[in-house]
Amino acid sequence: MGKFLLKRVIAMVITIFLVITLTFLLMHSIPGGPFTKEKKVPPAIEEALNKKYNLDDSLPKQYIDYLKRIAKLDLGPSFQYEGMTVNKLIKDGFPTSAKLGSFTVLLTLALGIPFGVLSALKQNKWPDYIVMFLATLGITIPAFVLATVFIYFFALKLGLLPTFGLDSWKGYILPVLALAGYSLSFITRLTRSSMLEVMQQDYIRTARAKGLPERVVIFKHGLRNSILPVVTYVGPMIAAILTGSFVIEKIFALPGMGRHFVQSITNRDYTTIMGITIFFATFLVFMVLIVDIVYLLVDPRIKLDD
Amino acid sequence: MENLNSNSKNIPKELWTKIDDTEKNKEQISRKSLTYFQDSWRRLKENKMAMIGLSVVIILILIALFGPMFSPYEYSDQNLSYSSLTPRLDIYKVSDDSYIHLANGLRLYRVTESGKIIELLSATEQNLIEKKITYDVKGKTVLLDFENQPFKLLDGNGNEYSYHDRVWNKTYLFGSDDLGRDILVRVIYGARISLLIAFVATVVNFFIGVLYGGIAGYAGGKLDNFMMRIVDIISTVPLMLYVILLMVVLGSGLKPIIIALGSIYWVGMARIVRGQILSLKEQEYVLAAKSIGTRHWRILTRHLLPNAMGPIIVSMTMMIPRAIFVEAFLSFIGLGVSAPKASWGTLANDALGALRSYPHQLFFPALAICVTMFAFNFLGDGLRDALDPRLRK
Repeated sequence: MGKFLLKRVIAMVITIFLVITLTFLLMHSIPGGPFTKEKKVPPAIEEALNKKYNLDDSLPKQYIDYLKRIAKLDLGPSFQYEGMTVNKLIKDGFPTSAKLGSFTVLLTLALGIPFGVLSALKQNKWPDYIVMFLATLGITIPAFVLATVFIYFFALKLGLLPTFGLDSWKGYILPVLALAGYSLSFITRLTRSSMLEVMQQDYIRTARAKGLPERVVIFKHGLRNSILPVVTYVGPMIAAILTGSFVIEKIFALPGMGRHFVQSITNRDYTTIMGITIFFATFLVFMVLIVDIVYLLVDPRIKLDD
Repeated sequence: MENLNSNSKNIPKELWTKIDDTEKNKEQISRKSLTYFQDSWRRLKENKMAMIGLSVVIILILIALFGPMFSPYEYSDQNLSYSSLTPRLDIYKVSDDSYIHLANGLRLYRVTESGKIIELLSATEQNLIEKKITYDVKGKTVLLDFENQPFKLLDGNGNEYSYHDRVWNKTYLFGSDDLGRDILVRVIYGARISLLIAFVATVVNFFIGVLYGGIAGYAGGKLDNFMMRIVDIISTVPLMLYVILLMVVLGSGLKPIIIALGSIYWVGMARIVRGQILSLKEQEYVLAAKSIGTRHWRILTRHLLPNAMGPIIVSMTMMIPRAIFVEAFLSFIGLGVSAPKASWGTLANDALGALRSYPHQLFFPALAICVTMFAFNFLGDGLRDALDPRLRK
């Protein structure tokens, strides 16, 4: 276990380092500096700005300085909002995004797995058809379409739920549903196919033959084994929910990280784009590591020395 | 020998008959032998959903290619006086041959009975204090009273004009957007852009991914390990983030999207190809090819890759809806093609602000995206079952 963890942590550090380098190089390869605007800034002011943000240093020196600052967990100032740092943007936005994201993950798992099991147990009967139809819809409809359709029907036509903001618990319903659409469908399909496979195994027949109640066969022997692929998908799922939340936060005007990110893209706020990208990447790599560890704990068959 | 002779003499004569042809050819294999692709096509044809998907894809491609020819409008044609018209018009009868339609924003149009828009009427008299506008429709007075909802259309004597019918907008079948551009033709042009991006990005990914995965799998050992670590590192972070970063650097437009998609999304293909090559290269025919001195490159391109074609094609068809989705996503967050060009994503994004008043502007591009995603997904699922029956679940 220790060796596995060490290996994974090293790989993680390399990944994050490469992401930082890549972002740095990409952002510095853009023609024109961050202060290049349609309206020409007087050269003296531009020089002063460049000096203030150390943009007149050589590229390697800037790179090393940037790495040093990141090592101190400082992602630098925003070039578009006065007095705003990227750290502060993250601190402001992340709790909202995290709340939205965790609700979505919970909903996805709490609905996706039971639906998948139901669908597998009633294979080729009407519950299966209904669930699979909805799951196919969920996979093919992009989140932003789903979100706008929800807004149109539930908020504008029926007036049941708010169109934007998170003032009450009602505000969460539509964003969470729209965000969960894809992952929920995917998990349902995954659980179904894996459950179908597991239920044909010999040990299920053995369990039935020795007279175990069907409930135990399904949940203890069937579900426990078929849940493994679902655990593997949780890592990519968090990534999907995270990128999905860019548009969802934009549509519902939620004050989260995703909206800051999209705004920084439209404003060409390069330091913010860099900072948030690095933050996202690091966060995801961490989540994937955690998922891997959970996977090890859930499945005793996995060999650790690999 | 003697024994045998005596035996055959014992068999009664009537059993010695000549067999006819049907009996003789019983063992012959009569069914034509099918190649791998013929066989797959046969299996694909049996899959109804996949065939529906395939037909929709073909229809979409035809519409994207030839649709604009049949449209009287260009995607950039603006007509500000015809802006934000809905696809369904409520028309009122003024006289036997003149009908009017009241659009949002107190705009009164003269239309035909079938729903063709003739002109935007200009007011002869405006009384903004009493909230009344007077129009002259072919010699008849129309008084628009907008003091209370619903607005009233009155004639000179104060009687309401009768509601005639709700008809399809014949001038703009899908309605028009906020600049008076035809949404139908813009959705068709959007199909061109979305399909073009999907196609080019998929082809680029195909070449890079197949070569990368092929070389890694065939070379094996340290090189394989190194190349696959790179793939691992790239795919730890969601590919969308890289694409967004690249798009920020390259600027928005058609070419940057293709470059950004093409330079990142090959990692999935590389993994699949490598896995296939790893198992295929242990086959005897590779050994045979090696033993007669075939060059490595030739073994890879002529022997190994054609045999891995099934999974490669499947992952290509899965790539197409993904590329369409990514393009729509990028356009939606403002990194897509720039105006007046439009892709489905930008159309949806533009319509978002006016969702409350003009849902039709969002409905058609969104429907187009969904139908396309459905079609490609079903086709992809069907192809997977047909080309690689082992993967069937």
